Amino acid sequence: MPETELDPVIHAPARLRVVATLAALGSGDELSFPKLQKLLGMTAGNLSTHLRKLEDAGYVTVTKTHEGRTPATYLALTTRGRAAFEDYTAALNTLLRGAGA
Amino acid sequence: MTTDDADAPRTGTDEPDERALDVAETLRLIREQQDQARDATEPDTRLLCLAWGVAWLVGYLCLWVSAVRIADGADVVRLRSGAGQVVGAQPEPWAFWVFFSLIVAATVLTIVHTVARTAGTRGVSARTGAMYGWSWMLGFACYGFVLGGLARAGASPEVMALASNALASIVVGLLYLGCAVAFDSRGLFVLGVWMLVTAGAATFAGLPYTYLVMALAGGGGFLVMAGIEHLLRLRRRRLADGPALAGRTGAVDA
Repeated sequence: MPETELDPVIHAPARLRVVATLAALGSGDELSFPKLQKLLGMTAGNLSTHLRKLEDAGYVTVTKTHEGRTPATYLALTTRGRAAFEDYTAALNTLLRGAGA
Repeated sequence: MTTDDADAPRTGTDEPDERALDVAETLRLIREQQDQARDATEPDTRLLCLAWGVAWLVGYLCLWVSAVRIADGADVVRLRSGAGQVVGAQPEPWAFWVFFSLIVAATVLTIVHTVARTAGTRGVSARTGAMYGWSWMLGFACYGFVLGGLARAGASPEVMALASNALASIVVGLLYLGCAVAFDSRGLFVLGVWMLVTAGAATFAGLPYTYLVMALAGGGGFLVMAGIEHLLRLRRRRLADGPALAGRTGAVDA
């Protein structure tokens, strides 16, 4: 199976889980950093590293804001990120059908 | 491909080595992660329908049992035998206490559950959800004023009883239709239509049958909906697991 079919940014398991989680939200919805962290069971530093890579690829937007006096960070999948995730799962499904036949 | 492995946590049981992830397992991982994300951000319709189903079924059955009388000749007796004609009476205070306690409990559960699930989310769905929540508040605030106005105008206890149940069911039915539109849910649309039918049928049945119709059709409707939602969920999971398990042999050479 040619590796070029699968997006290397998403293919790392940790980032795949981040993208899959954000893709489960409706488009136009954002998730707070603590909630995402809790859902994935990752350390804050580890999650930040992966989010930075996803942000650099243009797949995720990171919005820093304040709720009262508390700083808050929200994450959302970009249109590009959602398309990349859909391409990725479509490629996996194609591989699965090919392998299952 | 493996340069980021140092970043990935290796301790979790659901974090298998990247190389070992075959296609089917990756798809399963994605599905589980997404199910988990939805469970953590969206209210569980099954739980809310179950809570309201129990509240209506038990609450209205109490009203029915304490309101129903059999006119047996000259005597008006409690419902015991099948003989005689059923006549209505005002339900007893204990029944109203049970009824309102259950309604308050279901309301509190709905609010706490929904707030807990949707905490930490922002954007279109959160705004839609907030407007939907306010629609319930405003609908029932208005409901209170309308009933107050009817009582001031001298409505009889029977009219008040019919109007309070009918208006509540109409508000509930219409809000479910609105929810179905906002969140694109066919199941909630059917539930909304059913609640409107219940409102009409319960009012036409007249007292004390109104309470029985509300208990069985209204409360029963919620419980059936909870059951259907549960079955649909099980079926979705089973369908999703089918092909993935069948195709576990296809490995991704990463």
